[in-house]
Formats: sequence, structure tokens, C-alpha cells
Amino acid sequence: MDRETRDMLLETADRFFTERCGRDVVNGVEKGIWPADLWKEIEEMGLPLIAVPEDKGGVDGTFADMLALLRLAGSHAVPVPLAETALANLLIAAAGGEPKPGPATLALGTLSLSGGRVSGKVERVPFASVADRFVVVAGNTLAVVARDNVEIDDTPTHAGEPYGTVSFDNAASELSGASAVSAERAVELAAVMRAMQMAGAADKVLATAVEYCKQRVQFGRPISTFQAIQQMLAELASYVAATIASAEAAARDADEGGLGDGGSFSIAAAKSQASEFAQRIAAIAHQSMGAMGFTHEHILHHYTRRLWVWRRDFGSETFWGAKIGAAYAKAGPDALWVSLSGSKYAA
Amino acid sequence: MSIPKLEFPPFHLPAEAEALREEVRAFLKETLPAVKSEDRFPSWNTRSPEFSRAMGKKGWIGITWPKKYGGSERSFLERYVITEELLGNGAPAGAHWVADRQSGPLLLRFGNEEQRQAILPRITAGECYFSIGMSEPDSGSDLASVRTRAEPVPGGFRVNGTKVWTSGAHKNHYCIALVRTSGQHGDRHKGLSQLLVDLKTPGVTIRPIINLAGRHDWNEVTFSDAFIPESCLIGDEGDGWLQVTSELAFERSGPERFMQNFYILRELVRVLGRQPATRAAAILGRLVARLWTLRQMSVAVAGMMQGGKSPAIEAALVKDLGTIYQQDLPEIARTIAESDATTEEDMADFLDVAQYATMMAPSYTIQGGTTQVLRGIVARGLGLR
Repeated sequence: MDRETRDMLLETADRFFTERCGRDVVNGVEKGIWPADLWKEIEEMGLPLIAVPEDKGGVDGTFADMLALLRLAGSHAVPVPLAETALANLLIAAAGGEPKPGPATLALGTLSLSGGRVSGKVERVPFASVADRFVVVAGNTLAVVARDNVEIDDTPTHAGEPYGTVSFDNAASELSGASAVSAERAVELAAVMRAMQMAGAADKVLATAVEYCKQRVQFGRPISTFQAIQQMLAELASYVAATIASAEAAARDADEGGLGDGGSFSIAAAKSQASEFAQRIAAIAHQSMGAMGFTHEHILHHYTRRLWVWRRDFGSETFWGAKIGAAYAKAGPDALWVSLSGSKYAA
Repeated sequence: MSIPKLEFPPFHLPAEAEALREEVRAFLKETLPAVKSEDRFPSWNTRSPEFSRAMGKKGWIGITWPKKYGGSERSFLERYVITEELLGNGAPAGAHWVADRQSGPLLLRFGNEEQRQAILPRITAGECYFSIGMSEPDSGSDLASVRTRAEPVPGGFRVNGTKVWTSGAHKNHYCIALVRTSGQHGDRHKGLSQLLVDLKTPGVTIRPIINLAGRHDWNEVTFSDAFIPESCLIGDEGDGWLQVTSELAFERSGPERFMQNFYILRELVRVLGRQPATRAAAILGRLVARLWTLRQMSVAVAGMMQGGKSPAIEAALVKDLGTIYQQDLPEIARTIAESDATTEEDMADFLDVAQYATMMAPSYTIQGGTTQVLRGIVARGLGLR
């Protein structure tokens, strides 16, 4: 979609999330209450179909449009699998299928798939217990498995989101076809998606801490007027800036390079970067907000806890770091600068 | 909630800049093998007039300046590429560094025609080198408190005072000195001016200040009744503060703010060998990822500047993060090399470089605006002060 259309969509979505994704809804999901109305409205707006072509009933946006929307969703802690469903639908459409309504998620792991039947187990599948269907990629085949055909062991995260271990035992699929992406690539696409959500959450953490410190009065003046606090928040801003900049660069590279392999290195670097700074961001924000930010009542934890969970999703800094490090070591010192300046694994 | 949004719009360096990169790489591949390795890793801390003249011949100093002053009228982004290639390849670019980066642009912007014609073509030829005369014994971060006095006398100024941390003054041709030309010490920003000082001027004494790494980069420059002709006043009398602040903003976010000790990362790759253990690989990869991020941020800021914006907060953030990265780098590299270096011999070579990097590290977060000053700028941008 063109820039203007995207901006308009983001503006509408921003207003919608602000109105409909308040604290109570987010806390409700943590208690196991599925916000059916919220999901219905999200579907009515077409958001889970943002990157699905028009001829398959979608909004016809690009991967970059989808990522921009998900960064925004990250800054609202949207407690439903919008990101997972949007990517699942994109992959289904790219494999020739037509996405169905309802929440979906990605079960990315080592699975076997033959004759349309899936076997294996995937841990930490986001929103496993509320998803209607699971998208899996094995070899070069994509399959969609309905929830009735899998077993789910709930393992809620420390952000209270309904993750789970999903077991496939020769599970029948409702769709299987040639995948547009490899299993490895599916993880990369999910990683850049999470990195963008982390950028949104990081942005919100900074805004929340700054706003709080400007209002909180101690010793007779707003604590934002103390140099100690100013220096802390400026440092926080630097980590937030790094998270935003790396995620946006990876999103750009992924989009421009194409679904198949665009921005492979940039995605690895961005997810490593976002995961590495998640703790620094959370630590400074909490320190600046004192006991108030440590309560369940305040919204800060909606974002800091998600940052802690998301840094492990689809590869932590250790996972992506090891991948980059192994490639750079293998290529040797003379290739270092050429690879890095070219945003590539090897020159 | 309304705080200014931090944005780093991803930016592609244009095709002509990428084409220039290939030319620069080919040139460096030919030139650098003749340079001793201990002169290569400090990059812009190593002076090589020979290298600077070769750069000048290529037209790569003052590349953005008007042709009539020896420039090539190419874009700021092409200059960006040259800078990062010099650092990425460990080129001894120290002699012309300040003249190209700061002094030349200052003269171009505020200097008079006579000054420009006399100086700029020599800079672009790689033959004329500059020092910065801002800090004084009692004026560091608080630059407006400078005490060096330039008293108007017939035909010029009589200058008295002391400048410190004046890098390369013992070898450079000129220094641009921030001095008080009118008013009193307490007047702060008013009454300050900048003078173009020939470092051979009678009454100018240069004494080494050795840094903790044992290097003689810095000097103390003392003015004792030194006569500086009126023709050496840069811009208008009293405009010194305005000029200095714009000079400090020149590329605060350039590659030199996160690639000054790039060689240590290169050394780490070498010492870990081609197949490091997973843990070592992960730490190396994380360092690469952070540097890649800094580059994306820096390029984004360059793109915004090219687009006519002045992203002051974003630029300050790049320098803050970048200089902290440069301090983290030798420490992280050392600890992982200690456990994972392939051979003792490799480790010994690594330590030679790492020790130098460790000793230089404190300077990164001080020069050109301390971490604390930068964070003050960012805090103001966040609406906190």
C-alpha cells in the first residue's frame, strides 16, 4: 500500500488499540479470559489479512506494511495473536491457500511432514491455547493443522500470554502445499516480526517512564528535574533507539530482499540487538519509576514482561549471535568489514 | 503521551557512494600493505603525511567542498563512505583528519575569501593539517568559560592564554583557537571569537602532554603576547560561540564514534579461529550485531541530514551508544579471548593490541562531548529540562 494509505491505517489502528486494548483487557487475557469481541473487531478491520493479496481476500499490503502495524501493536501490548495470525495468513496465501478467519499461530520447530500428516512437538508456541489453527513448515512444505488435531500443554509465559507445547501425532492437516519459504526462513520472518513488536514495546516503555518522571513529585519538585533521573532516562532512550533502528532496518531489508531470503543477516542482527537490550530497557525504566512501576496495577509491566518473553521468542541473542559469530569466524578477519558493511553473513 | 518520537528511518547510501566505496577499497588494498601494522590499528590516531598526500591526489579530502578550493563538490554521503572505509580498513588518516572533518568546513562556512583561498586547496592536497584550540586548563565541558584573551591592537590581536589537549599541535600547521576578544570572563557566550593561528607564530609555545598510553598526541599551547593579524579572525568578532557549537555538531554521529577501535573486533575474529565454540561465537555475533545497529543508526542520521533535517538528539544518541560500545569492546573481547583463543602465540599478538585498546578506552566517552553532556542534550530533547 502507498505511504498515505499505510499512515491512515496505522492512525486508525492506533486509535482503536488505545480505546479497546486497555489495561483490563490485557490483564484479563493473563487470567485466561479470551477477548472475543476485540478479536472480532480486529478481524473486521482486516488487520490479520494485512499482508494477504486482494485475490485471496486480503488487504494487499506488503510485508513491511505488516511489520509497521505490528510495531504499533507492540506499543499497545495487544494481547491477542495478531502478529502470529498475520504472518500465518501471509504464509498460507504464499503457499497457495486462502486464509480462514480465526486466530492462528506458528508452530516452528523440528517436525516431520509427509502425505499431509504432521508429527513432532514444538515448545513455547505463542497463543497455542487460543489458536484455531497451527501453521507448520517442514522441508519445503507448509501445512495447516486445526486445533482439534493437536494436543496442547499450556505453558503460560511470565508475561501471562497463553503459550503452550503443541504435540502433533500423525496429525491430519486441512491444507498442505509447497511453502514459499523454508522452515529456517519462517523462523527469520517470525524473528523480525518479534523484533518490531519489541521496538514498539520499548518505545512505550520510554514514553511511560518519561511521562511518569515529569509528573512524580518528590522533595518538592518533579523528579525529572533531577540530573540523576535525566541521565538515566537519556541512557534508556539510547537503548530504545538502538532497538527501533535495528528492527526498522531489518524490516526494510526483509521487505526489499523478498520473502524468500531478504535481509537474512539484518534480521539476525536486529533480533540479537533487541533481545540484548531488553533487560537494560526494563531495568532503567523500573528504576526510574520506583515501587509504583513494580505494581501489577501499573501498565509498565505489560511491556517490560513482554520484552523479557519476546527476547527468547524465535531466537534469543545467544541463538542469533552464535549464528552470526560462526559465519563471521568462518569467513575470517579480512571479510569482517566487507560483510558487516554489506549487511551479509559472509562477504 | 507526547514525547518526541525517536526515529531512525532506514536509509540506503546512494549508488554513487557505493561506487566510490569500491574505488576507495581498491586504493587502500594497494596502499595499506606498506604501512606498519602497529600504525594501522589506531587509524585516525596515526599520522602519515605520505598517506594524506595520496588521499589528496585522489581528491578524497574535502570531497564535498567547491571545486575552486580543490574540492570535488560531491555529497556528504560520499564523504561518509570514505570515512568508514578508512576506519574499517585501519588507514593512517590522522594527519589530515581534523582539517577534513572540522577545520576546513568551518573555514568554508565562516572564513573570508582570503582565508579560504590560502588554506583550503592545501588541505585538499593533503598537505595542510589542523589542531583544535578549544579546551583550556579551566574549560573542558564548560567551553564558554575560556580565558584565553585576544586583545585588539593595531592590525590584529595580542593573544595571551593556554590551550590544552591540543592534538597534533607539535606537527600541524594551524590551530583554530576559541578566544575572548571582548567583554569579561563572566560574559559567557558573548565576546568570544575564533582565530586562525599559524602554530609557528612567535609567542606560541608548544609543550607535549603525554597521555596514559605513553603517546604524545596532546599538547599544551601557550600564547604569550602572540600577535595574530586581523586577517586571521574567522567570521565576525563575537560570533565564536555560534561557530563553535555548529562545529561540534559536524557529524557527531559519524562512523568515528563507533569504529575508532574496530581493529579489536577484527583481532577477536582472528584469535578465535575459523571454528569457535558456540559460546564464543555467540559473544562475537552479539558484538557484530551491536556494531551493525550503530551503523544503521549512523547511516539513518546521515540520511536525515542529507534530507535537510537536523536530527540533533538522534546524533547525540549515536555518539553516546557508540562510544560506550567502544569501551565495552576491548573488555568483552579480552575475556572471551582468554578462554577461547586458538593458540598462545595468537593470544600474545591479541594482547598487544588489546592492551592499547584498553588504555585508549577512557578517552572515547570524553572527547567531543562527554557521555554526561550528551545525555543532557538527550534529556532536553525528551522534554526533561
